[in-house]
Amino acid sequence: MTTQPATAPLRDDEPPVNLWRDAWARLSRNRLAVLSLAIIGLLAFVAVFGPWLTPFDFLSQNLDARNLSPNWVHLFGTDELGRDVFSRVVYGTRTAFVVAIVVTGIAATLGVILGALAGYLGGPFDRFVMWFTDTTMSVPQLLLVVVINASLKPPLVNFMEAQYEATKNGFFRNAIIIDFVLVFGSMALILWPPYARLIRAQVLSIRSRPYVTAARALGLTTPIIIARYIIPNAIGPLIVAISAGLGNAMVLESAFSFLGVGVNPPIPSWGNMISDGLQVWRNHAHLLAAPAIVLGVATIAFSFLGDGLNDALNPRGRK
Amino acid sequence: MSERLLDVRDLKIEIDTRRGRAVVVDGIDLHVDKGETLGVVGESGCGKSLTMLSLVGLLPNRIHTTGGSAHFAGTDLLRMQPAELRAVRGGRIGFVFQDPMTSLNPVMRIGDQLMESLRQHKRLDKAAARQRAGELLKLVGIPGAEQRLESFPHELSGGMRQRVMIAIGLACDPDLLIADEPTTALDVTIQAQIVELVKGLKQRLGMSVVWITHDLALIAGLADRIAVLYAGTVVEDAPAELLFRDPAHPYTRGLLASIPRLHGEDGARLSSIGGTPPEPGRRPQGCPFAPRCPLAEAMCHDIVPALAPLRGVATPHRVACHVANRVREAA
Ligand SMILES: Nc1ncnc2c1ncn2[C@@H]1O[C@H](COP(=O)(O)OP(=O)(O)O)[C@@H](O)[C@H]1O
Ligand SMILES: [Mg+2]
Repeated sequence: MTTQPATAPLRDDEPPVNLWRDAWARLSRNRLAVLSLAIIGLLAFVAVFGPWLTPFDFLSQNLDARNLSPNWVHLFGTDELGRDVFSRVVYGTRTAFVVAIVVTGIAATLGVILGALAGYLGGPFDRFVMWFTDTTMSVPQLLLVVVINASLKPPLVNFMEAQYEATKNGFFRNAIIIDFVLVFGSMALILWPPYARLIRAQVLSIRSRPYVTAARALGLTTPIIIARYIIPNAIGPLIVAISAGLGNAMVLESAFSFLGVGVNPPIPSWGNMISDGLQVWRNHAHLLAAPAIVLGVATIAFSFLGDGLNDALNPRGRK
Repeated sequence: MSERLLDVRDLKIEIDTRRGRAVVVDGIDLHVDKGETLGVVGESGCGKSLTMLSLVGLLPNRIHTTGGSAHFAGTDLLRMQPAELRAVRGGRIGFVFQDPMTSLNPVMRIGDQLMESLRQHKRLDKAAARQRAGELLKLVGIPGAEQRLESFPHELSGGMRQRVMIAIGLACDPDLLIADEPTTALDVTIQAQIVELVKGLKQRLGMSVVWITHDLALIAGLADRIAVLYAGTVVEDAPAELLFRDPAHPYTRGLLASIPRLHGEDGARLSSIGGTPPEPGRRPQGCPFAPRCPLAEAMCHDIVPALAPLRGVATPHRVACHVANRVREAA
């Protein structure tokens, strides 16, 4: 029932703290989590400001400097078109963050709404949502995404073309936009079910906890109970899941690129750089190593941060 | 005669199961007068909690009241609209639950939890609610009350948390405080402290108290009157000292005999009642206690005894037993 002895003394030496400040204090005592947070902060900074700080344009080719190994001018070397790999990795960071944030944002929002409703309402709606998540989660992700991608692309292209015909706005002919919409859409569609299941399970278990009954016995209204008793108790696991989810989305984007359904060249993404690099890694290992290492570091950082948050957000787990 | 605050008549609660409806509470009669402390005693599973939850419309899914009435200060709670009932909950009727470890919201500060019902029912502003919250913590004997408002539940011991629960139950000056096994989850020494606390608070504030327990000895010094529940019915209802001195129902006698006496004769055996209470949906046809009753006769297995005043006593002492009167008169 509890890990604390029932007679634990009142602790008067400890200053009272707010839950979030308390969680932050605990997180900042976790060295791995702090390091992860620093790495993520740096990558986020690079994602936002990097393209203005890089020495080269990520697209500019220099056919006299192709396939150079890392050196002081080109920190990560150059690729087969003579483009600066460092600049491309930096720009790829932006792609990775945009994809991760947008995709995780859509997936988590969709998942939280559908999962919470399923948990509250129960009945046929719950059964439908659960059937849907079960089905989605039982099909291999990559297979599913190829299918979704293939079936979304023609109608999307047709739609955009029709918009272009109607408006003559060049925006609708931009292949990059179509690309991103497809990647976001298909990734979000396969990533929301775990969030829905998590939130549904949380709502179901929290709904019948004694403190919710106690809150109802106080005559509190349902919106107050949901807002102050159910959601705050469900949010910890959600934050943890989102943190790990951001890293997963980055990996997934790379896997998509590898299958040719991700963000397409010439826009650099770690994924398409890795997939290009794989073809030449015997001769030009840096083309694979640079994006792969950055991707690896980023996902590990997100996952350790998730673990740290998990410990920090559980007020009972503190030491 | 003193004034009735709560009058529950013939309350019936049923559970929907796959095999139809199972009766858990079968015609409970209970009443509480103004300023009175009623002890409700019964084995675990006899329907004590469900009875109290049903009064304020908090029964879990698939459990319903299917009969009876529960008049509180003249109005039948069972026929109130949900919004009216919500005003009663936490306002005129305060609750204290069994497990202080899980009955407080773990992510909310003690002060905020105390302020919830003050803001809901009394419409106090933040500053006033906060001040009242501090006073309440003092009232229930929490050291350093002002600082404790900022604590989270996990920073308090079990006994302290139960004091907080009591403070929350008392926040809006309820006419009735319902405490559902408030000490079951606590250490024995802390149990006694909580009993003393409620006793003192009752004297100061003058509210009525319903104290639910499975431990008859615990409420000996607390309850004015005691109702003994068995399998969803009241089997005996008497002033506390009478019930201890002269129990009439064989079940009550069994309960009393099973209380260990610290100063009893050496070698006195603990007697306890053999068998187990019937499960919901498998109630015997006659008296629910008959299968375990040492005095059961043929008629006990056929006809349910009504809760009726004991013959030949002046004080109201009601018992639901076919043989109690006869056994007493013979003795
Ligand atoms: N949520 C529930 N679902 C199904 N049965 C329940 C539920 N709550 C209680 N019961 C059953 O109702 C009976 C009475 O329960 P309760 O009022 O909690 O007993 P007590 O408080 O006296 O220990 C028990 O037999 C229990 O099994
Ligand atoms: Mg109970």
